Amino acid sequence: MARKSVVIRLAGESGEGVISSGDILTQAAARGGYWTQTFRTYPAEIKGGPCMYQVRMGEERIYSHGKDVDLLVCFNQEAWDLHWDSLGPDGVILFDETAVDIPEEYAARARPVRMEKLAKEIGGSLRAKNMVAVGAVAGVISFNTTPIEELVLRRYAHKQGVADANIAALRAGGDESADLRGSLAITDPVEVEADRILMSGNQAIAVGAIAAGVKYFAGYPITPASDILEWLSAKLPQVGGITIQCEDEIASISSVLGASYAGVKSMTATSGPGLSLMTEMLGYAGTAEIPCVVIDAQRGGPSTGLPTKTEQSDLQHALYGGHGEAPRVVIAPITVEDCFWATIDAFNYSERYQVPVILLTDQGLATRMEVIHKPDTDLIELWDRRTSAGLDREYKRYELTEDSISPMGIPGEEGGQYVSTGIEHDELGHPAYTPENHVAMQTKRWAKLEPLKNGIVRHEHYGEEQPEIAIIGFGSTYGAVREAIDLARAEGASVGAFYPRVLGPFPGEQVTAFAAKARRVVVPEVNFTGQLARLVRGECGIPVESHAKCDGLPFTAEDVLDVIMERIPS
Amino acid sequence: MSTVPAKRKPSDYKSELKPIWCPGCGDFGVLASLYRAFAELDLDPANTVVVSGIGCSSRLPGFVSTYGFHSLHGRPLPVAMGVKLANPDLNVIAVGGDGDGFAIGAGHFPHAARRNVDITYLVMDNEIYGLTKGQVSPTSLTDQKAPSTPWGNLETPLNTLAFAVASGASFVARGASFNTKALTELIVQAMEHKGFSYIDALSPCVMFNNHQEEWKELVTDVAPDHDVADKTAAFDLALKGGFKMGILYREQRATINEKYAALVEAAKDSDLETMLEAFNARKGAAIGKPTV
Repeated sequence: MARKSVVIRLAGESGEGVISSGDILTQAAARGGYWTQTFRTYPAEIKGGPCMYQVRMGEERIYSHGKDVDLLVCFNQEAWDLHWDSLGPDGVILFDETAVDIPEEYAARARPVRMEKLAKEIGGSLRAKNMVAVGAVAGVISFNTTPIEELVLRRYAHKQGVADANIAALRAGGDESADLRGSLAITDPVEVEADRILMSGNQAIAVGAIAAGVKYFAGYPITPASDILEWLSAKLPQVGGITIQCEDEIASISSVLGASYAGVKSMTATSGPGLSLMTEMLGYAGTAEIPCVVIDAQRGGPSTGLPTKTEQSDLQHALYGGHGEAPRVVIAPITVEDCFWATIDAFNYSERYQVPVILLTDQGLATRMEVIHKPDTDLIELWDRRTSAGLDREYKRYELTEDSISPMGIPGEEGGQYVSTGIEHDELGHPAYTPENHVAMQTKRWAKLEPLKNGIVRHEHYGEEQPEIAIIGFGSTYGAVREAIDLARAEGASVGAFYPRVLGPFPGEQVTAFAAKARRVVVPEVNFTGQLARLVRGECGIPVESHAKCDGLPFTAEDVLDVIMERIPS
Repeated sequence: MSTVPAKRKPSDYKSELKPIWCPGCGDFGVLASLYRAFAELDLDPANTVVVSGIGCSSRLPGFVSTYGFHSLHGRPLPVAMGVKLANPDLNVIAVGGDGDGFAIGAGHFPHAARRNVDITYLVMDNEIYGLTKGQVSPTSLTDQKAPSTPWGNLETPLNTLAFAVASGASFVARGASFNTKALTELIVQAMEHKGFSYIDALSPCVMFNNHQEEWKELVTDVAPDHDVADKTAAFDLALKGGFKMGILYREQRATINEKYAALVEAAKDSDLETMLEAFNARKGAAIGKPTV
């Protein structure tokens, strides 16, 4: 019987074509009408080192990258050594016959493919190795190669010879796995809407920022956030904005604040080490009440840590990092699709409340490719900051208003002149250190965020609303948790999950209400110390069980399922 | 009959805040020169932004009745860059001290200079940290004794003018708080200059480093026949002993603002829907560059 979804893992040396094979398969699957999600690990070295690209594809929406590998493709011996234990019980292995020895006990499930040999003979170049591999994979899963051939023709539109050679290599690869044809056959997609798109989390953020009206982006290259800088460098000028690569992260955030002060929506993107450098200026933004959006694509820490691995360990830094107590908003998107919407939210909150907003993704979410519904742009609602324009009273930059949001003067605007400062200031913006003033200003800066706590923001609820086992999580773990809940409920477990989008200010009341009847509350997260678990304990005063892991890898649904099943009341 | 609006006066740029500087501080002379220069240029206060870092001199924006941005230690240049790139119609001047600009902020200086951001950077150079009460700064003299150097300063002072020329600043000049007429003129020329203009303004700290009288002995004007377009000659003047007053170097080259404006003008051809459509899974993105 054909499978509803299949997990394919390609592994080899960086530079051998592993990534491009994965990209081709993913794009072809998307064109063929499948839902996909990818996961990749790659070395921190520039060239060489083991890398892996996993593609999960299926006829139904895919929420996680999958655990047991159905089809493992080994480009070299190290690939087998590193990945053999991920192979599922019915898993099939394809391997380059010149480079890999597969142990005897796996021989029945393994098929040698003449990757290098055919690449040279038929593809005309060793570079065609990836096409041989893709052809062999397509055969095993009974995947129609037409979309692949279209992609090849498109890519080499001006080099017919190269296109022909690649297509020949693709077909030769298919012949190589002929006797396994269809052994992992995947069901054809039933219904294919035209409005699906394929993008990464980072791309969704970049496009979301454009949707939100960003006009200034400054950044400094850092894995895994750099492609936001790169993508916006190409695209932002096309919608009238500027992208600049600064000398460091401090300059990036400083110039972002300068640009925002001057009236345009501004953003930067970084990872943990860069966020550390930006911390002082984030405090300034909180105190001087300047809108800005900071993307933190988290990676493994501490320090320079694991640059190419995933972790959710900047939560506390994002929430509390900095001296004094300066307000900010922290948002965590949960899927690639949500990266688009959460970025718009980030700009909206930032503009309305004149506050810096940190958006927390991570390496897993930032770099994975996902087929998603094309966002309905008619649903986009944009909020703008309150300015001093048309004010019929004396202008006070930090006026104590009813909602604690003050009008912001924009240079160029008559009558809005003020001096922005991180020094404690009175309503006019003049330095003022009296006890009364400091209390009034601290109160104002925090009070304006109250509406964010009390329900205007989106959160995600999945599974039972009042479960026996309550899961509270944030960010990229959502997909695995969601799948695990489906599996656990099929076994009769009473389980549900709550994912706040806004983590700071923390929606303590909503989380408490969700967990009210639970017998056990579990917090899965990808870090060592259980940062969200501590936050929930502190904000909600409820006992929670931390399930934290920090191996640099995202949760699989099976990981979470184990956590749930262990806790089922007997 | 149309009336010509009255030109603004220096006092029009005074804010209601009184400077908090010590009596006799050189920064008063710099501030007075700034008011006069603004008046001479007749800058629209609503269209003018004074950006600063942290330190005595960086309190200056509070005393000027324009838009102001009192930022953080060492950060006036990237902030000013953001302001100017976001709205190129604004007049943007960054001000600060030698410690702010050349210790904590030194990493930003060469990049603002080589980018040729169209802003003016006015450094009030007193060769000391005044606000933190007298520690040495990057421009303090070797062997100088200060609270942080009780055995004498072991370091060589940074030659900020040579640094500016080397970094690609397109306008490099020196003035002094004790000659407000000349300083006013330099600020006017710097703000009229298209590109990154740097002015080092000697501004004695009367409390911790009062070199005013010695400095007055050491200053000499740049010779009238000095070729401001000659970079080597500018280096020579910067490296000579004493203080050469006036414009050491000036060149006209495209600013980053102009380059970005041209880039945006040339690139502007898309919208959100088009960008989203490029990701269309059914017909979209071709195989290409990996996305990471």
